[in-house]
Amino acid sequence: MTIRSGRDTSLTLGLPLMSQEPEERRDFLPSLALHVASLGLEVLVESGLGARMGYSDRDYLNSSDRIRIVGRDEAFAQDVVLILRSPDDRFELIRPGATLLSMLHWPTRVARYLRLKELGIEAVSLDLIVDDNHRRLVENMEAVAWNGLEAGFEALAHTYAGFRTHDRDPIRVTVMGAGMVGKHAVEAATKYGSLDRGRSMRDFPGVEVTVLGRNLTSSERYLREQLRLTDLLVDAAFRSDASKPLVPNEWIDELPEHAVICDLSVDPYLLDASPPTVRGIEGIPQGSLKQYVFYPDDPNWRATIPHGVPSLSRRTTVSCYSWPGIHPRACMHRYEEQLLPLLEKLLETGGAGRLRSDGGYLERALYGASMGAWVALSEPGEVANSR
Amino acid sequence: MHREPGEKRDFLPSFVAALDAAGAEEIVVENGYGSGMDIDEAAYSAASSRLVWGDLDDCLIQDAVMQVRCLDEEYFDKLGTKSILLSMLHYTTRPERVRRLAELDINAISMDGLIDDGGRRLVENLAAVAENGVGAAFEELAHTHPAFDDPRRPPLRVTILGSGAVGSHAVRAASRYGNDQLRDAMVARGVKGVEVVVVDHDLTAHESYMRSLLSGSDMLVDATQRPDSTIHVIPNRWLADMPAHAVVLDLSVDPYNFSVWPPIVKGIEGLPQGTLDQFVFYPDDSAYEELDPRISTKNRRVALSCYSWPGRKPRECMEVYGGQLEPFLNVLLNKRAAAWDTSSPSLYERALARAELKRWLEARPG
Repeated sequence: MTIRSGRDTSLTLGLPLMSQEPEERRDFLPSLALHVASLGLEVLVESGLGARMGYSDRDYLNSSDRIRIVGRDEAFAQDVVLILRSPDDRFELIRPGATLLSMLHWPTRVARYLRLKELGIEAVSLDLIVDDNHRRLVENMEAVAWNGLEAGFEALAHTYAGFRTHDRDPIRVTVMGAGMVGKHAVEAATKYGSLDRGRSMRDFPGVEVTVLGRNLTSSERYLREQLRLTDLLVDAAFRSDASKPLVPNEWIDELPEHAVICDLSVDPYLLDASPPTVRGIEGIPQGSLKQYVFYPDDPNWRATIPHGVPSLSRRTTVSCYSWPGIHPRACMHRYEEQLLPLLEKLLETGGAGRLRSDGGYLERALYGASMGAWVALSEPGEVANSR
Repeated sequence: MHREPGEKRDFLPSFVAALDAAGAEEIVVENGYGSGMDIDEAAYSAASSRLVWGDLDDCLIQDAVMQVRCLDEEYFDKLGTKSILLSMLHYTTRPERVRRLAELDINAISMDGLIDDGGRRLVENLAAVAENGVGAAFEELAHTHPAFDDPRRPPLRVTILGSGAVGSHAVRAASRYGNDQLRDAMVARGVKGVEVVVVDHDLTAHESYMRSLLSGSDMLVDATQRPDSTIHVIPNRWLADMPAHAVVLDLSVDPYNFSVWPPIVKGIEGLPQGTLDQFVFYPDDSAYEELDPRISTKNRRVALSCYSWPGRKPRECMEVYGGQLEPFLNVLLNKRAAAWDTSSPSLYERALARAELKRWLEARPG
């Protein structure tokens, strides 16, 4: 059966490789290509897709004769192009009128929006697809929290001599921030960051998680007292003022020596910006998929910290700009499951330019994340969704 | 059909339009539908030309019957054999209901059992469970706590049992007093905020630890999903350790059921089961006396419990459910239930197949 769009258009899907840093291993899986091909569409896969997760071109090819392995230019030259992170340096390879599906983050990347518009590309930003109640339909906050906490507890098992003793007190985790990431962090923390570890620790005293919202993290006396009782400190806060840290560097000395800091918010240091952005916990390094565990004597500790930011007070820290990328296959399975019904609807509709704001549930959600719904971004200084 | 006056929820006209678009041949709507939410009949009639009005019996004999809260079991006989019943059926805690539906050969689909491949619920309003419940509990705590809005008091301490989906929404709600306006007002007055402590089953079983924790808790929230609903998490005698002003909130709303063996009990022993008509119980409420005598109610605090917390804000609730159900309608209305496949390429067909009673019974361990 061939899926024809409601507007008599048969579409093709391109799956190009991401061109971000070498340790970024995520790509869409053979199962996604197969699903789309089974709808009767041609799928053009860039050679090497999935290789960093152990897949070969053959794994994609074997799944359907509607799938072809092609070069980069051809993968980008299809009616719909699906790529997880924004291919900023490849926009010219996409045809005018084609649809780009990617994490485009327009509200904070207005220049990207304007460039796509200039090139006549019809894009849908995956991070902006929300239902009528503003719940994101394509997100993996869960992996941010679970992967970060898994690394945090792994580090704590090394630094805390009493970790596997039966007469210790419950491990005390303090989570700063009760938003989306924070609430997943709570669940992950009660399971030691992984279900396997949680099961293996079943006979030990458990984990007590204390969650602090904004109105408590702003109280120095309270927070310093809380830090003294904390084995694992988690920053999952969304700060209203990113120019000030929640935990100045010297407060880190309040934490027990064995304590571990788990950075889930991954705000960067941008001291030249106006106002400047600093990290929620001052003086901790910004990790990557290549290195996300930093012991206090790590030679790379200061590599990502700008001059002038104090970092003398240190505890073992886990930090990564992309926690979901730690387990790339699991991450891409999750995205695939969320994305397939939306992708099917988009293909059936005939591309992003044909989405309607009064369509069904999935079409409405797609429309809200499409360029047409964000025309206000064309106006300087505007970031509001126009729908 | 509403089971109690406080239950006002009905699907919205937008859902009727979605049924029409998905291919329903005729949509029979019970007279008075939507009136609890002040939606008049004209709004429904305008949503679909295939809509006809009827009484309850007319509705129950259709090929598919959809209602958020499950019908009283006495009405099951009126459903057609092999008809579809889509409702919150809660198979695991309602063995009698399951037995009856299976006996009548109804294609029952539990809305609360519609899950993705990772076990996440696709039709849920757990955020509203937490927000509405926690919001109501803070309203009570504002009356019982002697220094609720005093800037000199220490942070309020909320203890949450369970860190699953409901628990994590409760964390977010509790850190904001369950009400953003109240939170802003407290911040403006310089009142210290809320410290939320979450414990899971590996700590709830430790009596000395738990009793010490309860002694410092202003609010206790049950958001557990117990693997064994025949055992209390918090025996009634532990409540004696809580401050007199403390408030106890039941979000898990497991019912008491002494007609099965072993009996099904609530996570916190001695709490009455609330409804949309009454969800606050003061220590002298007669509801305590009506509980089965095997339940200890000796130690009491202000308690909140409601069969359906989302039902407190019916229209918002039905917007959520309607939107979440919409993508299921194509499969639901156009493919026979017997043909639904748990390995279908469609997420929604897989989820429907898993939530369908016969397949659920087959897949159930033991």
